Amino acid sequence: MLEVAKMAVEAAVKAGADYADARMGTDLTESLTVRNQEMEGIDRSESTGVGIRVLVDGRWGFASTARVSDEEIARAAALSVDVAKAAHRLPGDPVTLAAIEPAVASWRSRMTEDPFTISLEEKVALLMEATRRAQQVKGVTFAEGGLDFFRRSTWFASSEGAAIDQVTTHSGGGLEVVAVAEGDMQRRSFPNSFRGHIKAAGWEHIRTLELIEQAERIAREAVDLLSAPECPSTITTLVLDSGQVGLQIHESIGHPIELDRVLGMEEAYAGSSWLKADDRGTVRYGSPLVSITADAALPGGLGSFGYDDEGVPAQRVPVIVDGVFENFLTNRETAPVVDQTSNGTSRADGWSHLPLIRMTNVSIEPRQGTLAEIIGDTKDGIFMATNQSWSIDDKRINFQFGCEIAWEIEKGKLTRLYKHPNYTGITPEFWGSCDAIGGREAWTLWGTPNCGKGQPGQVARVGHGASPARFRDVQVGVRG
Amino acid sequence: MPGPIGDDAFRSVAEGALRLPGVDGVEVMFLHEWGGLTRFAKSEIHQSTAREDSELRVRVVTNARVGVASTNDVSPKGARRAAESAREMAEVVAPDPLWPGLAPPAEAVGRNGFDEATANTAPETRAEAVATLVAQSPEGFTAAGAMETRASEVGVANSNGQFCWAPSTIASLTTVVSGGEEGSGFAEVFAGRTDDVDAEEVGRRAAAKAVSSQEPKPLDPGEYVVVLEPAAVSTLVGFLAYVGFGGRLYVEGRSCFSGKAGQEVANRAVSIWDDATDPRTLGIPFDFEGVPRRRVDLVRDGTFVDAVYDLRTGKQAGVETTGHALPAPNPEGPFPLNLFLATGDASVADMVGATEHGVLVTRFHYSNVVNPVESSITGMTRDGTFLIEHGEVVGPVVNLRFTQSILDALKDVSMIGRDSDLASEFFFSASRVPALKIERFQFTGRSDH
Repeated sequence: MLEVAKMAVEAAVKAGADYADARMGTDLTESLTVRNQEMEGIDRSESTGVGIRVLVDGRWGFASTARVSDEEIARAAALSVDVAKAAHRLPGDPVTLAAIEPAVASWRSRMTEDPFTISLEEKVALLMEATRRAQQVKGVTFAEGGLDFFRRSTWFASSEGAAIDQVTTHSGGGLEVVAVAEGDMQRRSFPNSFRGHIKAAGWEHIRTLELIEQAERIAREAVDLLSAPECPSTITTLVLDSGQVGLQIHESIGHPIELDRVLGMEEAYAGSSWLKADDRGTVRYGSPLVSITADAALPGGLGSFGYDDEGVPAQRVPVIVDGVFENFLTNRETAPVVDQTSNGTSRADGWSHLPLIRMTNVSIEPRQGTLAEIIGDTKDGIFMATNQSWSIDDKRINFQFGCEIAWEIEKGKLTRLYKHPNYTGITPEFWGSCDAIGGREAWTLWGTPNCGKGQPGQVARVGHGASPARFRDVQVGVRG
Repeated sequence: MPGPIGDDAFRSVAEGALRLPGVDGVEVMFLHEWGGLTRFAKSEIHQSTAREDSELRVRVVTNARVGVASTNDVSPKGARRAAESAREMAEVVAPDPLWPGLAPPAEAVGRNGFDEATANTAPETRAEAVATLVAQSPEGFTAAGAMETRASEVGVANSNGQFCWAPSTIASLTTVVSGGEEGSGFAEVFAGRTDDVDAEEVGRRAAAKAVSSQEPKPLDPGEYVVVLEPAAVSTLVGFLAYVGFGGRLYVEGRSCFSGKAGQEVANRAVSIWDDATDPRTLGIPFDFEGVPRRRVDLVRDGTFVDAVYDLRTGKQAGVETTGHALPAPNPEGPFPLNLFLATGDASVADMVGATEHGVLVTRFHYSNVVNPVESSITGMTRDGTFLIEHGEVVGPVVNLRFTQSILDALKDVSMIGRDSDLASEFFFSASRVPALKIERFQFTGRSDH
């Protein structure tokens, strides 16, 4: 397969490219969904093709095809050059790539039990039992369990001499319980919402999820929420579970630190950023407790890899250090703008897409204590868990996020249950109000498999390590 | 150049799966897309692509046990391999008590939505359109956006003998013009043909908005009269489909319309329907199970009529499918992809002129559901938000956050635009909607720009 990528690069150079790279790729997926012990869906997919990216006189072109024949690759290579030449219709500064040492390497994500070799019977049985346990709770309308497995194999070659093959395997699972009463619907998810907890791992990760063991608990919570009062509308102390902190990082830190957004390259679609290109080392993003790291070399995350889709090795990048913004996520095109070399975050949604700057594993550094200890240290406030809804403006300043469940905190203890909890804030003010972050023992590396960006739209799989955290003076309970 | 493989070739490929032995039924869904996108920012073309991909999605049924497998190997061998994989999955799962069977043979008739010139649009043609658009921005302003031309062919064949196939094309141009002292403007167009994209008009419209949006002033959140342009209305209609119109949500009591059949849910001037066969939208004449599509009234004169269904949820609800299946497997159920909101007799200028104190909204950004059963959503305004005083637009305001029940908003509609635009809240669907004047709309926060 690497030979196909090399052939595509040669064809592109022959067609007139000054620089070319190619990714031959195959994506495999398997997905199972069981609802109330009945099969909702079971499917597998396979997609293979090659994407060719070129620079011609400083302008990008890209073409991809699923038909991997010599003739078709030559056609796609020539087309990528035509696309780049057409870009010269408008004037502009030529793209200059940050220099890298071309890598010749092979990389595999860690895995001990290949999920694609586990029998379908075993997978179905797990979901059947988890949904059966949840259904036993009176008032449950339905319980839905899901398992998802993903494998991406990529063979990358460039006209600079890079030759890299990589295989990443992701496994995830989750349970969702829904209770419906007249005019109301409540949902509880475990271990996290939107298909659960997904990691760069094999079946061994599924064995740790406790979908069966936790089914009754979340089912009871879903039913209890139906009779719970609405989350009050007030300004208070807010404690978030680690899953919601992961979402908060994703939306209000992960996206605004993407240098392509800062430079306006995403302005018409996903938006830009409140950060400016010269903000490094000067802007206070959060309280001194808040340190954020982007770490593609961290094992187990959906943003873990050996090399990005430009052949740049995985790196650990300090993004926010003690509350001060230090580094953007960059690629070879944008890094020179901030006088750096690429920190390796260029990734594509498979072989058919152009690589963009994408989050790797963008995580908050753990501090001290468990969730129970943070709540115990809180005189009064609200604890919210499990993301349900997210919305943020085009510069990532004003946000409003909803969770599945909340409890009042009184004198360090969880008391009254609340439904429809949400909170709103302004990004630097919110992170500036953070005065507690849980320790390593409370830190989880979550997977976000559905991060959208780019035109045509791309979906990235990214990671967020997070501990529970506490924020002061937050507006909760927003209602129209 | 890529091109359609055609109905005969699809039939030959599908045969590789349809002849699978030892099963009760086989369905093959085929999707082939090709085209290009010219992306620009800061008035430069920075990311351009030309892409082609296909999908064969094979659903196999044996004793009401269902498995699905897909591949982009569009060959009889690829189809057969996917069918065998789907059969393997079907053999290990429990029977589906709601299995409705595959679609029966039925002719699906619709418009010819395929334009050869659009399918073959060259990168130079897209770049020329972008250059025309960019030229409309005044000095100190730049344009960002994308021009896309895309062709596709969709086919469905099943072992009941149903066979349908349709090619189609789409051309779109979207832009945000920004600059000056802070402020931006948005415009877009969706069409079936490249020739119907007027780049100069789109660029001029966005530039005018950007110039008008300079130095926005803060505005206190609260309840306002709003005039929503079609792009903003498409957010309300798109999310109403998401939380309300799907038959599965409806029969399971999870829809904002559950239990409201025959009840007044909106102002009597509001009618919403789905019709993929209408030439004013970009639909294909059958769904992803091969069921012919037709017009389905959802809200008629303010009264909720019914949801949309596929074969399975139709059986669940005891009604016929309305032809709104998405590709299998689809736990979310059916969805309307080609919505219409009935037009009225007002212009946007009329609506502004009839507003004493209110807000004019160009579009919303990154909206999401707050409470689905109440049809409550939140989101931000973007790229042109203006204060209206005494019947006139008096100046731009910073972007506002709304948290609002869609059905409450539709109850408070007081004027409806006489023109409609095709606009898209979600990448997979489009709504043809007019502007609306709404008497009560809740803004719950604001940003700094």
